[in-house]
Amino acid sequence: MAFFGDGIAHASLAGIAIAILADLNPILIAIVFSIIIALIIYLLEKKTSLSSDTIIGIFFTASMSLGVLLISFKEGYQPELISFLFGNILAIRVFELYLIVILAISILTFLILFFRKITLVVFDRETAYISGINVTAIEITLYLALAVSIVLGVKILGIVLVSALLIIPASIAKLVASSFKGLVVASVILSEIIVILGIFLSYYFNWPTGATIVLTGTAWFIVTFIFSKILKFKSS
Amino acid sequence: MNAVSVRNLNVRFDDQVILERLSFNIPQKSITAIIGPNGSGKTTLLKAMLGLIPYQGEVLILGKEISQSFEKIAYVPQRFSFDKSFPITVDEFLNLEISKQGRKKSNINTKLKEVGMEKSGQQLLGQLSGGQLQRVLIAKSLLNNPKILFLDEPAAGIDLKGERSFYELIKHLNEEHGVTIILVSHEMDIVYNYATSVVCLNKQMLCFGKPKKVLTDQMLKQLYDENITLYQHKVDKHG
Repeated sequence: MAFFGDGIAHASLAGIAIAILADLNPILIAIVFSIIIALIIYLLEKKTSLSSDTIIGIFFTASMSLGVLLISFKEGYQPELISFLFGNILAIRVFELYLIVILAISILTFLILFFRKITLVVFDRETAYISGINVTAIEITLYLALAVSIVLGVKILGIVLVSALLIIPASIAKLVASSFKGLVVASVILSEIIVILGIFLSYYFNWPTGATIVLTGTAWFIVTFIFSKILKFKSS
Repeated sequence: MNAVSVRNLNVRFDDQVILERLSFNIPQKSITAIIGPNGSGKTTLLKAMLGLIPYQGEVLILGKEISQSFEKIAYVPQRFSFDKSFPITVDEFLNLEISKQGRKKSNINTKLKEVGMEKSGQQLLGQLSGGQLQRVLIAKSLLNNPKILFLDEPAAGIDLKGERSFYELIKHLNEEHGVTIILVSHEMDIVYNYATSVVCLNKQMLCFGKPKKVLTDQMLKQLYDENITLYQHKVDKHG
């Protein structure tokens, strides 16, 4: 799923380029584009013998290339494009903020309501199917929710760095959690702390926000990893 | 009514015939073993019966289509592969199972006790041994009180002692709770000692019936294409 996140983020560049060329809202078009890409990836994963990595790898590079090609048609410096590539929290418009809030609440509601089913499907889709779960519906909705979540984070962290928010907090939580509940709670809390701390540091030192958030998370991960190894060594 | 009724079942992957014209009835409250050499289609047959792969023909579970029988069946796969470093406790894992009877804590404890894992609730799933994991998977499958339990090589990767106690558990579920057991196995001694009926498979069905009646030297030679003779050993229940 980490590669899926990275792939969707990069693929969204084509949607952003279309929006910039057509003078539409980039986030809105990127969401629609990422949903289409996510659906195509899902269908190809299920209907062909191609590996998931191959499918995502091809779509991710092809969509990004399409984005670069389309943007080359627009003359002059593109500040908005740079903000999408590397993130700029100050460039978020009020409409986009409302969009982020509405979609984030929708995704959160889906995750809470279908928490057990999603986990069971992710663990083992065959036994989930035998348990009477509509596996296809859950998987497609999860893909779409992930795709939309990633695009929503693009304006903050940028296309290049946004997948770090999927990977780093969960990886830190995995090092410290002793239960699944602990993992989920710690992941959410860590995400919030890392983003807020990163924004604070970027403001204080006048550093780029996206990169500072990712480096804050990475530093936290390294420290936690070392401490967990020391604790494990002492207890053994 | 039969537990499972299979009529003229055919499975093909691309142009390759995996199973051809299988027809048999598995009676309720039986322990039925599906045996055959590697590549004979044992797991494919189990998955077809469960509706996990496409097939031609008819499969009825307790007289109904599989999609209408999910509440009455449970399945333990051959390999439950998951990220062993994933921090999920046994209790949390069992709590994921969807049940109309509710996921009461007492129900989970009862099932864990049933499989001899009552003290493992707070243990991490990834830290269990192969045998313990299989027992937890059985406990999970029992949460909805199934009428039929499908097992795909359930003792693979378990040591001999663990294997024997595992099959004693299966026998207990069958005899005490009346659960129909359908399992894929390649361990002939286990089949001979525990199964009440056997399906011999090598793409086509070569035999079906009581093990002691149908598993003749001639049948085993036909099935495995080599001379095999079964010597019956009495299983020590406490071993």
